[in-house]
Amino acid sequence: MKAAITAKRSASRQASIGQYLVLSFFIFYMLFPIAATYLFSVATRWDRSILPEGYTLEWYQTAFKNIYFGITLRNSMIVSLSSVLLSLIVVVPAVYWVHTRLPKVKPLLDLLMILPFGIPGVVLALALVQVYNFNPISRSPYLLICATVVFTMPFMYRSVSNAIEAIDTHTLTEAAQSLGAGIGPILMKVIIPNILPGILSGSLLVFATVFAEFTLAKLITGAGFKTFPLLLVEYTRKNGSIAAALSVISFTIAWITSLLILSISRRGQRVRKPAPQVHS
Amino acid sequence: MAKPGKRNSVSDWLGILPFLLFCLAFEIIPILIMVRDSLVDSTGNLTLANYTSLGIPLYINSFINSIKLSGSTALIGTLLGTLIGYVIYRWPSENTREALISLSDVTTNFAGAPLAFAFIIVLGSTGIVTQFLLQYLNLDIYPAFSIYSFTGLVFAYVYFQLPLMILLIIPAFAGIRREWVESAQNLGANSYHFWRRIGLPILMPSLVGGMMLLFANAFGAYATAYTLTGSNLSLATIQIGFTITGEVRHDPGIGLAMAFISLFIMGSCIAIYQVATRRAHQWSAR
Repeated sequence: MKAAITAKRSASRQASIGQYLVLSFFIFYMLFPIAATYLFSVATRWDRSILPEGYTLEWYQTAFKNIYFGITLRNSMIVSLSSVLLSLIVVVPAVYWVHTRLPKVKPLLDLLMILPFGIPGVVLALALVQVYNFNPISRSPYLLICATVVFTMPFMYRSVSNAIEAIDTHTLTEAAQSLGAGIGPILMKVIIPNILPGILSGSLLVFATVFAEFTLAKLITGAGFKTFPLLLVEYTRKNGSIAAALSVISFTIAWITSLLILSISRRGQRVRKPAPQVHS
Repeated sequence: MAKPGKRNSVSDWLGILPFLLFCLAFEIIPILIMVRDSLVDSTGNLTLANYTSLGIPLYINSFINSIKLSGSTALIGTLLGTLIGYVIYRWPSENTREALISLSDVTTNFAGAPLAFAFIIVLGSTGIVTQFLLQYLNLDIYPAFSIYSFTGLVFAYVYFQLPLMILLIIPAFAGIRREWVESAQNLGANSYHFWRRIGLPILMPSLVGGMMLLFANAFGAYATAYTLTGSNLSLATIQIGFTITGEVRHDPGIGLAMAFISLFIMGSCIAIYQVATRRAHQWSAR
């Protein structure tokens, strides 16, 4: 009996053919569409053969020449960076404050932070467009930024609150106070450096999500303030090769931010991985 | 854990006031106004007219399509994700495991328009796989299949559902302790008995919670469907989008009513997910 179990356990260290098949399927399903997009973006023509007929950078050149390429890239950068900034101003102090001063409010904060997961993007857009129908905020980039901050709040919250929970803010705050430090220096010199990995991964996650965000941008600002994903969707209906080139740019930004987040969370104190992303 | 603040509670509340005001202004109040507006007519009287107007095939079908799409991709995502998650969890090499979890992490971020377009490249009418099947196997999947159809959407949605489920289920597998497996074996249980009586009940909250999150995830999705099918396939979120952009003229009240129903469906899923996750944590809490 004992020998059988040990034998079984040592056998389980070797992956079976079935396990190899399952993993191969998974890796293929996840990577093939991405790889195909990369290859399609440098293919001269690839709609009647197994492999591309030739290779070219023409699609990227054409895409870069379109004046909307620069405009939409700039607009997306503005929205993403402003969202990160606003999120840092609105969310981070609230998390710190609730953690150190108002622990009894934590359930309310948790609820407010899960709420955006339960609201479809289109519904949030509709509600905001209806209420803020006056100038200058109506359908403005400002409204879009506020919407994307609401939408990405859970990501910033998870990252920052995990980081705060990992350190003993209370003792640190009291130790700094007993040395005569005020609230400002405590935050700047003690708390923020300690939770910086959490703040960074939260910011990167907000940046990446907002940069790729289509629903709110399309429905709130639309053509009035076109973002990069909107340009991409336009091209999917006009020129597939250029759409592929724009998709590659979009994927590459997502890869880079994800890898940065992973490397931050691996290093130093382990900041727990933020909650998986929802809504697409 | 933390001691209550020493100052009076008013100044304590001041610290989170900006955050609360922000939530009220850009989330809570607009949503409440939307719900109220969906329930009143132009003169301000309470009415269910907006909801009864939804009883025509266009709107009913859009909800049925949304529920079918979310349900089927949540089911496929849960089953496949659990299977793949288990294989990853049991994989002998630590490095491979880490790499696959990172892959899931990164690919959950690949959604929306670029993902939809990647699937057009692979499975579109002149897509790579379509070409391959045609030239090597002499199998023309079009027009029986189309990436721009319901089935096509299933392929694209499963792409972002799978890694999400994998990330949710691996910690649940980790919650099943080695000692429990050994005790069960010592008491003579085979692996069927173990999973039936111990493994599955422990996993159940994670499975239910995961499936609810996946359902909500698909139900609220807009970009992927918009890019792939445009207006070919009527989904609840696509119809609500039309009321905002004005591409298709709807009575504005109908958009509000559809929005409220969608909010209700998705909110309920997330609420169940939350409760189930709490249950699941009782096993993974160390």
